[in-house]
Amino acid sequence: MSKPEFVYVIYIASTPEKVFAALTDAKMSEQYWAGNRVVSDWKIGAAFALKLKREETDVTGKVLEYDPPRRLAYSFHPQHGGMDAEPPSRVTFEIEQQKDQVRLTIVHDGFEPGSKAFEGISRGWPFVLSSLKSYLEAGKVLRAYWYEDECAAQGAA
Amino acid sequence: MSKPEFVYVIYIHAAPEKILQALMDPEMTKEFWGRRRNQSDWKIGSVWRHENYDDATDIAVAGHIVESDPPRRLVLTWARPDETDKEAFSRVTFEIEEFMASARLTVTHSELSLETLRNISAGWPAVLSSLKSLLETGASLPMTRRNWKKAG
Repeated sequence: MSKPEFVYVIYIASTPEKVFAALTDAKMSEQYWAGNRVVSDWKIGAAFALKLKREETDVTGKVLEYDPPRRLAYSFHPQHGGMDAEPPSRVTFEIEQQKDQVRLTIVHDGFEPGSKAFEGISRGWPFVLSSLKSYLEAGKVLRAYWYEDECAAQGAA
Repeated sequence: MSKPEFVYVIYIHAAPEKILQALMDPEMTKEFWGRRRNQSDWKIGSVWRHENYDDATDIAVAGHIVESDPPRRLVLTWARPDETDKEAFSRVTFEIEEFMASARLTVTHSELSLETLRNISAGWPAVLSSLKSLLETGASLPMTRRNWKKAG
């Protein structure tokens, strides 16, 4: 049985340097990743964390590749929702400069068949990368549904 | 064995109506879809043709409208313009859902041959990335304004 793998390509009117910076900068990620932040010192083997706005635990991992502005890879291990029982998966970004734009490819693999994390990231990445593209091209981001919950809560308070 | 399927999801800051209109309006498709236009009256059962914007005799893809439920759903068949073998027709489903003041566009290209899968897997991400740029910034990606030999 083949192992699940997620592959997604998106084209962005930007530069490889800007795309790479957005993927590795905590403050920028917080903008387009709906309040979640990537945190690491980006040394090979160092800890990687995705600080989740809505969860008490981080997605943990290690920096596997760091080759700005072309390639970035980290291991990815959610600790919430029972997914800590699954083995860590692997996220690889490839950034290619094309004539008029950047081609960003993400491969997220290393899942066991039936992985719950795989289901989550398959829904999540198109949203996050669509929002990243909006952030870099238009200075806008996409809103996640939990923003509405917060707005409603603030309105009620 | 079932035929391959390609699914691409992209979120766009635009109303579903605007997204559907962009897929049908020649003045918009020429900007993000390789200087091509989609010619049809968009009625169920009608023919649609993916034509060169500047030369309607240059048809890259043709098929029929299978379902139309604007602005939420559009289903087409997809083949070479001279195709007679029913097995050679693939199917494209556009689904547009409102999502948090934006929209989620899901393109499902199913019943594919391996050759068509190769071509469209390269084409859809470029076309749909450029559609998003056009609707959000007013400018498509330059690569998709040019005429390509192969349609995607």
